[in-house]
Amino acid sequence: MSETSHETLVGSQFGSRAEAYLKSAVHSKSEDLEALVGLMAGRSEARVLDLGCGGGHVTFNVAPLVREIVAYDLSREMLGVVEKAARERHLSNVVTRQGAVEKLPFEDKSFDAVLSRFSAHHWTDLDAGLSEAARVVKPGGMVAIADTVTPGVPLLDTYFQAIELLRDCSHVRNYSRSEWEAAIARAGLVPQSVRAFRLRLEFRSWVERMNTPDVQVRAIRALQTSVSAAATFYFETEPDGSHKIDVALFTASKRPR
Amino acid sequence: MNRRRRSPLSDNKRSAVIDPKLLELLACPLTRGPLTYDEERNELVSPLAHLAFPVRDGIPIMLASEARQIGDDVVKPDKPGRRRR
Repeated sequence: MSETSHETLVGSQFGSRAEAYLKSAVHSKSEDLEALVGLMAGRSEARVLDLGCGGGHVTFNVAPLVREIVAYDLSREMLGVVEKAARERHLSNVVTRQGAVEKLPFEDKSFDAVLSRFSAHHWTDLDAGLSEAARVVKPGGMVAIADTVTPGVPLLDTYFQAIELLRDCSHVRNYSRSEWEAAIARAGLVPQSVRAFRLRLEFRSWVERMNTPDVQVRAIRALQTSVSAAATFYFETEPDGSHKIDVALFTASKRPR
Repeated sequence: MNRRRRSPLSDNKRSAVIDPKLLELLACPLTRGPLTYDEERNELVSPLAHLAFPVRDGIPIMLASEARQIGDDVVKPDKPGRRRR
């Protein structure tokens, strides 16, 4: 059996679905996105990094507010879509760079803010990604990360990770809020705030966006209908498989030197 | 051109050739050392890592797995590429 590296997996999973992510309503407008973007209000001189930019929704919304935003992702196809969409929207202060989050090709202290949304659950090494974010942000600067989070209760957690992995083989892990806060502190950042959101995922578009193979879609449906009622209740699973997940927005700062 | 407010991207921004101003802040992902831009090959060269990172469709690919190995002879510090800092 051939081995598939995680980078290849992420690249191909998202590469083929780039347009779907650009058009995804879940990704293009939601409360957590507004909250994340709102952090950059009044920061017209800021140079910002969008870590794991995906379809570019953070980038597109933040670009008009700041001096420059670098859209960074592992997937070249995603970046191609971001380039094209930025041009169409006349956002001339968007630049794209391809690479891994664990090894950022930027100098120390080169950004006023590092933002990331719905990306960290794909990182093979959360600590490395956060350390890199901490390295490239200026002292006194902000790191703000929004991602799906697990409630942390073992029963719910195991179920949640299982359906996430079935849907998308490039899924690594959803962390709990306390795991996030600990990881932020380990990266040498100072936790500032946490905001919680609930996000409803419409089943059909949720699996189509990732082009989940039919056998895995059926497995997700089987799990959804056979899992304990506690999970069905928590995730508010509907008869068609649509459900709700937790999203958290963490802000942290780098100590001023 | 108002460089402070507007983007550093010039009008030829989307052509294959990268604007040298965009190199600002970029560093080698492996060594974190400086990069030079080889205009002819359209590559970002990390002399310390002996790697040349390709630029495709205007997007620098900063992955070691995508980079080209280069020998010492190619990496002359006074190479006429554009040296940052």
